[in-house]
Parts: sequence; C-alpha cells; structure tokens
Amino acid sequence: MSLAPPRGRTAAAGRTGLRGTLLVLPAVVPALFVLVGGIGAAVAQSLGLLPLIGPVRLSLDAYTAQSGALPVSIAVSLGIATASTAIAAVVGFAAALVIVSGRWGGRIVATISAATVTVPHLIGAAAIGLLLADSGLLPRLLGIDADAWPRLVGGPWWVAVVAEYAWKESAFVALVVAGTLATRVASFDETAALLGAGRLKRLRFVMIPLCLPALVVSSTIVFVYTLGSYEVAWLLGRSYPEPLPVMALRLFGSITLTARPEAAAVAVVTTTISLVVVALAFFALRRTALWR
Amino acid sequence: MTIQARSVTADPQRADAGRLRLPGDPGPRLTDSRGAGRVGRVLSATLLAAWFLVPLVPLALWAFADRWSFPEVLPTVWGIDGLESSIAQGAVPAFWRSLLLGLVVAAIATPLGAAAARALTMGTVRWPRAVGLVLLAPVALPPFAAVMGLNVVLLRAYVPPLVGLVLVLVVIALPYTTFAMRVAYAAHDIRFEEEARTLGASPWTVLWRIHIPLVAPALARAAFLAFLVGWSDYIVTVIIGGGAVVTLPLVIASSAAGIGNDSAVAILSLTAILPPLTLLLLLGLAGRRSARPRRRRPDTDPVDPRTARSPRSRPHEPGATR
Repeated sequence: MSLAPPRGRTAAAGRTGLRGTLLVLPAVVPALFVLVGGIGAAVAQSLGLLPLIGPVRLSLDAYTAQSGALPVSIAVSLGIATASTAIAAVVGFAAALVIVSGRWGGRIVATISAATVTVPHLIGAAAIGLLLADSGLLPRLLGIDADAWPRLVGGPWWVAVVAEYAWKESAFVALVVAGTLATRVASFDETAALLGAGRLKRLRFVMIPLCLPALVVSSTIVFVYTLGSYEVAWLLGRSYPEPLPVMALRLFGSITLTARPEAAAVAVVTTTISLVVVALAFFALRRTALWR
Repeated sequence: MTIQARSVTADPQRADAGRLRLPGDPGPRLTDSRGAGRVGRVLSATLLAAWFLVPLVPLALWAFADRWSFPEVLPTVWGIDGLESSIAQGAVPAFWRSLLLGLVVAAIATPLGAAAARALTMGTVRWPRAVGLVLLAPVALPPFAAVMGLNVVLLRAYVPPLVGLVLVLVVIALPYTTFAMRVAYAAHDIRFEEEARTLGASPWTVLWRIHIPLVAPALARAAFLAFLVGWSDYIVTVIIGGGAVVTLPLVIASSAAGIGNDSAVAILSLTAILPPLTLLLLLGLAGRRSARPRRRRPDTDPVDPRTARSPRSRPHEPGATR
C-alpha cells in the first residue's frame, strides 16, 4: 500500500481552471439563465419595466393593486406550508426511526415510502380528493352521511390540501433522514444502550441530535416546495382566499392588461419569502452541533 | 471506548439462523425492542404503512367502478367505463408525450449534473461554493415564479415552447442529479482511472470502460430523479407549453377539475403512477444484482486485472472513512 500513487484528489487538484470550468459550464449556464432570467424578468415585470404594451414606467402599482388580497394570501400560504411541514417532519421522523431499526417492518416502511415519493403531487391530490371528499371513501367507510361530513375538500381549514402535502412529503423526509442515519446510527445507538441509556434517553440524546441536520434540510425543502406549489391547492382548495401560487396563476391568465405585472409581483413576493426561509434554515443549521 | 458495537450489529439473527448458539456468539442487540416496546414498534410500523397506502386505495377501487352510489362502501357496478373515457380524453398520446419528456429531461440533466458533480468533487472548479449554490438553487425557488418571468424572455427570444419547456425542466432536475452524483463521486476512487491511463488506455476507453461502469448505479439513480421531474411536472408545462404540449398531468388535471368522471381520474392516475414504480423496481433489482458480484469480482474476473487488484484495498469505500 505504501507504493500506491498519491491520492487522486490531490493530484487532480493541481489542474484547477479550464478543464473544471468546462465540465461545470453546461450545467451552470442554463441554471443561471433560468434563475437570473426568470426571477430578473419577474422583478422587472412587477416594477412595470416590461409592459406588454404602453410606455415603460417604474412603479410599485403592481404591488399595491392587490393590497387587500395579498396579505391574506401570504397568511394562507404560510399557514398551509407550516402545517404541512410540521406534520411531514413528525411523521417522516417517526418513519425514519422505524426504517433504521432494520427489522422487516422497517424494510416494508422504507419500500412503501420510496414508492410514495414517486407519485406525482397532482395524482396525490386526485387520490386525497377521492378519499376525503363528502362522497369519498372515508365517509363511506365510517358510515357518515354526506351532509354531516365536514368540508375537508374546499373547506375553510384546507384539510385536504395539508393532508396531501403531509402525506407525500413525509415520505420524502423519511427517506432523507433514514438515508443520513443508516450509515452511523446503529453503533451510536448500541453504545448508548450499552452505557445504560433507556429508550427515551436514546431518542433524546442520540437519535434527535443525529437526525437534526437532515431534518432541518428536508423540512426546509418541504416548506419552500409547499409554498410555491400550485396544483394541489388549486384542485383541493377553495376559491377565496387563495394561496400565493393560485393567485399568481389566476392573474397571469387574466385578460386584463394590468394583471401580468400583478402576477409577477405575487411571484416576486413568493420568491422573497422562500429565500428568507432558506436563509433562516441555513443559520439554524449552522448552530446545530453536527454541522461540519 | 473501544466497545464499538460494529461487530455486534452485523445482523446476528441471520448469522444465527439454523445453527446452535455457542458461547461468545453475538446475542440479540441491546437496542432491539422487547415486550411492550416490541408491540409498539410493530404497531407504529403498521400505522405508518397504512398512512402511506390508504390514500391510494380509492384510486384502485374507483378505477373499475362504473357506478358507485354514495353510502355503498364498495362500487355498485364494476366495469371499464373509466378506461374508455380516459382513452377518449387523449390519455394514450399524452402518456407517450409524458414518457418522452421525462426521458429527454433525464438524458440531458444526468450527464450535465454528473460532469458538474465530478468537477466539484475533484476540486478543479473555480468558486466551487458559488457553483454549488447555483446548481442547488432551483430547489429553493418556487418554479412558477421563475417560469412566469422566463415566459416573457423566451417569447421575445423566439424560443419554441418545447425547447423552453425542456430547458426549464432540466434546470429543475439539475439539483437532484448534481447532488446524487456528488455523493457518488465522494466515494469514487479516481486511481482506477489513473491506473488505466498509465497502462495506455485512451481517455475515451477510460471513460467508457472504467469511469462510467463504476458510477453506473448512481447515474441510474440520478436519471430516475430527473425522469420524475419531467414525468410529474404540471405547472411548467402549463405556463411555458402554453397548451401546445399536452402531457399526462394536464389530462389528469382537466379531468379531475370536472365533476362526475371519478373513474377516469382513477384510471389516469394509476397510469401515471405505474411507470415510475416500474423504474423504481428495476432500479432496486439492478442495485441488488450489482451489489453481489462486485464483492466477488477480485477473484473471478480475469478480464480486467486493473479492477481485480484494487477493490480489496480501496481506501475510501463508503463507510470505511466515515
């Protein structure tokens, strides 16, 4: 082994520059084009700099035009995202614990959650609709009359929307957390048990600290995804108040000329909230013990 | 503490199966649950399995229900009306279009992500953190926002809707492919390739015979994730495609937004679930098959002496270093 060549990475590190840049560019150029071009155009449009017709005029009209509905939409979107993320994180964490326990039960849960991740959200929404609507499978099974059944689909509490996001994203959280846990958790857990730690103490002092970084990262992805996702809230939600993406799409498709900048303004607001949430999560992550 | 549980955790149940337990053999793990804890574990696994499976049950029932009047728990009249009506809604061409879109996105996003991940892992990129951030950013941004703005740019640049659609979906898929390949390259040993080069293989031979076979499982995973992006997308297809590209999710959405065609929605939904599930199954089977012979190869594969010697002494096999 001592005659082995120096480690590849150090040998390759000398070739910094053109080759590496050439390998990265085909991915970076389209990404930059979509990110900068897309967000930049949305910002310009919302400020009145890219009008469909008429003079170019810098203004905040698009932001103030929806001043009544926009705060309500922000609140609804944040509420749905928070509730979905919380449920998905708790259920996903529990599923991850079952998965890494390594028994047949864990293997079954791992297989089923991997299958759930592949289901498109739109199909999830259709399925949840057929389950929770007042003529759905659940009231039939429970023998509750359609009139007595609470309005879960299109109702005031967005139950069906939250249920769909929580269902599918909990599978995502479970796979991410289980994936990072699987490599190292067994020895830590066993050592703690050997030293006399009980079930709850192992959960509190071993499992949760080990899971926390993966849990924070996956929850952030879930939150941002839920905030910016359209089809589930459109299919299972109600027409007023609207979540931000639904509002933006309605304005985008509207025939009024002023509506396009307003749609762009809603898009910019949604993007800003997403970036703030990601930044907060990043700082929270740096404070966890296991970061680097 | 050298009482690391590593030797104990190597699946004692399987090792013990079918033979007498001798003194010194590993017993059950301390962390295994017993009594009430075991009941709780089985119960929670069952509940979780139900949580993931129950939403799919109405799809399976509705798919072959011609009539299902309200208080009945099971369909009243079984049949294939849903199938006929979903074919009438154009499900078949939409299915092929979606499949093609998913495959094209996977075919473009996977090599781009792999190349970027390799350069990032080998440390040959200037500003690696900024590049990594740009490639991960699409996951943190609402797609509808970027797409709304981009729509104007693409229209003014006279980019055809289909090209724009593929471009945006590839960018959305890049975080997944890049991340999957970075994980793979972190455990990849470049000395296999250097050794082949030393022995006179051309860069192309090294790429096709050494490099790609070694990262093939990760490439398959990355391609699967990218396929999912193209296969399940709705909002980007609506905005950028502008109605010109009718994929399966668009048919499902228009069907689900209407009233009274529940069985067609169920059939369409099942159609949309099956291809990714099939791919996942193939991926799992291929992973299991490739995991087994790799361990045996050093002794049995006479064709390639370069790979025959080293795997035993691979310094950074996953798990060995972390």
